[in-house]
Amino acid sequence: MATLAAALKGTRTALSGTLGTQLFLGGIALALAVLLLPKAIDDPGFFLQIVIYGTADGAIFALIALGYTMVYGIIELINFAHGDIFTLGYFLAIPLIGAFGLTEGSPVSIGMVVVLLVVTAIVMVIDGGINVVIERVAYRPLRSAPRLAILITAVGVSFILEGVMYVWQGANNVHFPDLLPDTRIPLFGASLGVKDVIVIASALVLVVLLNVFINGSKLGKAMRATAQDREAAQLMGININRTIAATFFIGAALAAAGGIIFGLYFNNIRFDEGFVAGLFAFTAAVFGGIGNIQGAALGGLFIGLVQAFSNAYFQAALTDVWIFAILILVLVFRPTGLLGMQVPEK
Amino acid sequence: MRLPKLLAGLALASLVLAACGTSTGGTSNKGAIKIGVELPESGGETSNGIPTLNGVKFAVDQTKTVEGFTLSVANFDDAVNGVHDPQKGAQNVQQLVDDSKVLGMIGPFNSSVARAEIPISNRAHLVQISPANTNQCLTKDIYIPQSLSGVADVDCKAAGVPFPKDLRPTGTNNYFRVATTDDYQGPAMSDYAYKTLNIKKVGVASDAEAYGKGIADTFTIRFQKDGGTVVKRQDFPNASKVSDFKPFLRAAQKAGAEAIYFGGTDSNNACVVRNQMKAAGFADTAPFFGGDGIVTDKCKSDAAAAAVGMAGTVATVAAEKVSGSQATIDAFKKAYPNSSDYGAYTMPAYDATKLLIAAIGRAIKANGGNMPKRQQVLDQMYKTDYTGVLGHTSFDDKGDTTNKVITIYGIKDASKGWDVISSVDLSKGL
Repeated sequence: MATLAAALKGTRTALSGTLGTQLFLGGIALALAVLLLPKAIDDPGFFLQIVIYGTADGAIFALIALGYTMVYGIIELINFAHGDIFTLGYFLAIPLIGAFGLTEGSPVSIGMVVVLLVVTAIVMVIDGGINVVIERVAYRPLRSAPRLAILITAVGVSFILEGVMYVWQGANNVHFPDLLPDTRIPLFGASLGVKDVIVIASALVLVVLLNVFINGSKLGKAMRATAQDREAAQLMGININRTIAATFFIGAALAAAGGIIFGLYFNNIRFDEGFVAGLFAFTAAVFGGIGNIQGAALGGLFIGLVQAFSNAYFQAALTDVWIFAILILVLVFRPTGLLGMQVPEK
Repeated sequence: MRLPKLLAGLALASLVLAACGTSTGGTSNKGAIKIGVELPESGGETSNGIPTLNGVKFAVDQTKTVEGFTLSVANFDDAVNGVHDPQKGAQNVQQLVDDSKVLGMIGPFNSSVARAEIPISNRAHLVQISPANTNQCLTKDIYIPQSLSGVADVDCKAAGVPFPKDLRPTGTNNYFRVATTDDYQGPAMSDYAYKTLNIKKVGVASDAEAYGKGIADTFTIRFQKDGGTVVKRQDFPNASKVSDFKPFLRAAQKAGAEAIYFGGTDSNNACVVRNQMKAAGFADTAPFFGGDGIVTDKCKSDAAAAAVGMAGTVATVAAEKVSGSQATIDAFKKAYPNSSDYGAYTMPAYDATKLLIAAIGRAIKANGGNMPKRQQVLDQMYKTDYTGVLGHTSFDDKGDTTNKVITIYGIKDASKGWDVISSVDLSKGL
């Protein structure tokens, strides 16, 4: 046992350096090439189509994964309630869209785009606010308690949110107004939907904005400092509580935007659907390197593609097996993920 | 609650008695025989139970007497707070059993209620006929047989329900039904797709549950026997949490699928699959098939703009599709003029009542014209050879009807709900 543990530790250390990154990326590329290249050559148009579907799905996973990774980066909490915050964004948007007089069949216009942007902004603020309250009530008092206490609390918050959403919206799928045009443009034997483009583009814009914010703004700097060493950051005059609250706010706002984008794209969600989407997003965050923004975005994209390829080419019954096998492999052999972890130093 | 209903029942019985006084002619009145009814009749279940109850009432009103005995209806409601309730159903059957004038009963509506009721009626040897139950495990040990699915037998225990023998403490059967069983749903839809719609290639998926995978498997094997090709087959565990079915749908479409069959329920995203077919490259007119799990309003709203073109099987006979039945349906609608009086199970309940009365009549004759024992009525039930609004009905030794007809419901008009569009007769075997 001891030798095995030592060997594993040795492998881990070896795999965390540059050589590890190359091996890790090379391994993934090789596996993908062996599994998918023959199929891509066989029917490139179909392959491209699956890539388009997977990229759109992955963009949504990425938006959820960002919130996971930011929260983990700053207080080392796997926020299990994050997927439900995503669902909540979807539910909050529906009455607001109705209040602005938009219904299914409304013509696509500049006015509609403006209304959707306004609704998204409002829902992002409300959902973010709710997450800040959750952090204040359920997580902050436990910040210095054993890690497990806050983890269980997060699971509890997830159940509470699902229970509330169940009572509010019922057990069935809830329909989101189908507002976007379902036009599809032919593209090298595949077809690119206007909806696909909108999903991918809006996720990309949000990731870029977040990156600029984290790296360019004062609050972003404070977040990075807090993530690196909470006490030192406090000694430097950073208001830790406010910084952590801001992290929860931004994470939830992105999940809310993800919920609305999901609604516009898929038009159906159930009160408990966000939890599983959250688990996939968590896998994406770990895959990309937990705490790492670009890593989470890339990880989301990767998980979306794995899911689409599995459902199209292999057994849908094994899709979840692939995704969580990836999670385990990454955790065992390269806990730092694709682009490296950014978490508090010990 | 109970008192007004009892009073209403008494009033009805006295009306029937009064009517009989003049119509029975030469035959002397030997006493009363009651037909028990046990259905969900209030709250959200009103639209299930009341039209079904009307079918029983109509049959009894038409017949009035049997071999000199006056017929009446003893009616009980198993809905509690507007939802069918197995415990309440069991209490109701106990009351019917305790009434010695009850020689047979019609009901229940739901298979879960039947599981609670059969042990009680069974101990009393009381004939119980359901107009609506379709779960195969009420009568058969095997939920999905290997011969239909092509994979190993799935028995009732594996499907999460008790075996029929566990419901029958006396060891003999007293339960019958005029609806056929759910295991014929997949084959019926296959025949409809291949023979009626002339579809040669389909993609098949399921929600990976006993019901959904079962009907998807039976559809698959039958479709291949019919001569068609299943170009893509997938099972989705956690289907209720899967948001994107397009990769599967696109793969099926690329492989030449003209339609999709999904074995599963609306709560497992069955009709979200339908909703995504267009974005995966299917034509608007490409059909979408399923079992009774998709024949719901919820499914229609999940499919949203793509609702037209869906079709689902229900394991009961639609009398509208049986030749020669229209006259009885018209007579019923004259006696019960409101549109909410008539439902999918009105005519099945009517036929069930008629053939029960016929069995009671034979039992009276066999008993020398005297009030028969319940066991004697039960013995006569197996000799049923009845032609009515559902076609020809007799029963096998398990109590299942030999009239194995599956009705196909579909959405033809987005502004309307599910309509009867066809029916498939599998009585001659598969």
